[in-house]
Amino acid sequence: MSDPVRYQGDGDLTLRADNLSLGYQDRKVIDRLTLTLPAGRVTSILGPNGCGKSTLLKALARLITPLQGAVTLGGEDVHRKNTRALARLLSILPQAPLAPDGITVADLARRGRAPWRAFLAPWSDTDAKACDDALSAVGMTDLADRPLSELSGGQRQRAWIALVLAQATPLLLLDEPTTWLDLPHQIEVLALLKRRNREAGTTVISVLHDLNLAARFSDHLVLLGRDGLVAEGAPDAVLTAKHLQTAFGLAARIIDDPVTGTPMVVPL
Amino acid sequence: MRGFIILGLGLVLAVVFSLMIGDVWITPAKLWQGLLTGQGPGSLTLRVIRGPRVATALGAGAALGLAGAIFQTLFRNPLAAPDVMGFNAGAGLAVLLAISFGWALPMPVVAALGGLLAAVLVAALAHKPGHPASGMVLILVGLGFGFTASAIASFISVSLPVSEASEAQRWLTGSLAARNWGHAAEVWILATVLSIALAALLPAFKLIELGNDLATGLGLRVDAARWSIIAVGVLLATAAVAVSGPVPFVALMAAPLGIGLTRAREPGARFAAAALSGALVMVLADLAARAAIPGVQLPIGVMTGILGAPYLLWRLSREMERGEL
Repeated sequence: MSDPVRYQGDGDLTLRADNLSLGYQDRKVIDRLTLTLPAGRVTSILGPNGCGKSTLLKALARLITPLQGAVTLGGEDVHRKNTRALARLLSILPQAPLAPDGITVADLARRGRAPWRAFLAPWSDTDAKACDDALSAVGMTDLADRPLSELSGGQRQRAWIALVLAQATPLLLLDEPTTWLDLPHQIEVLALLKRRNREAGTTVISVLHDLNLAARFSDHLVLLGRDGLVAEGAPDAVLTAKHLQTAFGLAARIIDDPVTGTPMVVPL
Repeated sequence: MRGFIILGLGLVLAVVFSLMIGDVWITPAKLWQGLLTGQGPGSLTLRVIRGPRVATALGAGAALGLAGAIFQTLFRNPLAAPDVMGFNAGAGLAVLLAISFGWALPMPVVAALGGLLAAVLVAALAHKPGHPASGMVLILVGLGFGFTASAIASFISVSLPVSEASEAQRWLTGSLAARNWGHAAEVWILATVLSIALAALLPAFKLIELGNDLATGLGLRVDAARWSIIAVGVLLATAAVAVSGPVPFVALMAAPLGIGLTRAREPGARFAAAALSGALVMVLADLAARAAIPGVQLPIGVMTGILGAPYLLWRLSREMERGEL
């Protein structure tokens, strides 16, 4: 039995947006964006409301068809690739997934195995291990048999993350995984994503709102403004007073986070 | 599990009572004797008088229950059932047109075409470019479409010769009168084939339940899967309509009843519960329709209407409280 969590292939897993335009014909949300999302790193996409960061993430996960340009994974257009084959490489947790009535945490994690399971195939040891690993990674092993509806907001979000972890893809995309959570739960979610990245080499790309948390947990930041890309790179290169002024129209001073040394935004 | 046993026992009892009760009462002993020897009033009841009727009710009820569960789960709305959304009425209208114009097509095919056409029309009428139609919009458009189709069907039936008109009216209400083993076989075979198709679509169904984005992310071709599931649901409903007329409210009531009783969670178990309770509701409603007024056989649709209309009103008030309306 192979380790389901670690990517076994040796393909290029760099995700790129190439001259990408998204939105509607009369209203482009993203206009001719070219971007490289480094493989094996934790990347956060930041920007003001309505700048198109969720739209961009959806396009990266082939949920939205571009108006022009392309999203490529290892040089292959994700919108042309077999969607099931892509689902073994890249998973996406949307902002508001729907919970079926009465579903338990373990059931939810099992559905993450869909792209790996052949028609009528029995539940395999690899499937079982991937689910067990996912549940333990989010600290939900003890709550596996509980219905989702009985859980708190933070636990529920961790259960959804267990689903995409069970999918066992080398790339993991998340649309605002910390929204609606209180601060301790936000930190918990981001820490577990970072741990997954460090332990399994998973590329984590998420849309986040909180600049300071993003700086703390990310290797790479992408900052979008209303007129497109403002900056990308390491947190201390991206989170500068000038960039924040451009992206958000926000006057801010940047200081060192006294705990981690990462940049910390203090609005003026 | 206990819920499934209760449903199963209830179904067996309903079938036995249904075979016993009618203008002439047949005791279980006589039924048993008829079954073993093939002779006597028990045998006649089983083979000719009530047997085929009850078998048709079982098959049609199960098919309607499954169809209801499919649409209610797919659109995440307890009001989304093929009878409420006008698919049954569309199938009924098609059958009536076929009869009055003398089209030489098998009834299940005519009903299926009518139901599928109704589904496409409802989807097209509810379509707004750039936005996926919400369940509630589809339901309301379907409700309107259903009334229109029923009205046209009534209009046509009235213009038929007198002898056929009352028969057509009766059929349009939903009736199991004069069903033979051919009808029973027809609905059973179709329901079996479509259930197998549904079982094959179950993995896709489990992903669609999580929302279109997550389902796509898990490698499902969502549009193709969705339309396949809708087609299976419409065909299940129309297979029932072809043998029993557009019986109202069975599809609407069956799944909530069966799922409530069994507390089934997995989609497969929920479908099984809905099929069992659909069969139960249909057999009981037919029994009540025959036994309610001595000497008078009401069409089954009158009975399901009496049961179903208050249920629909109660559901609507619940939806209003939840702010869905």
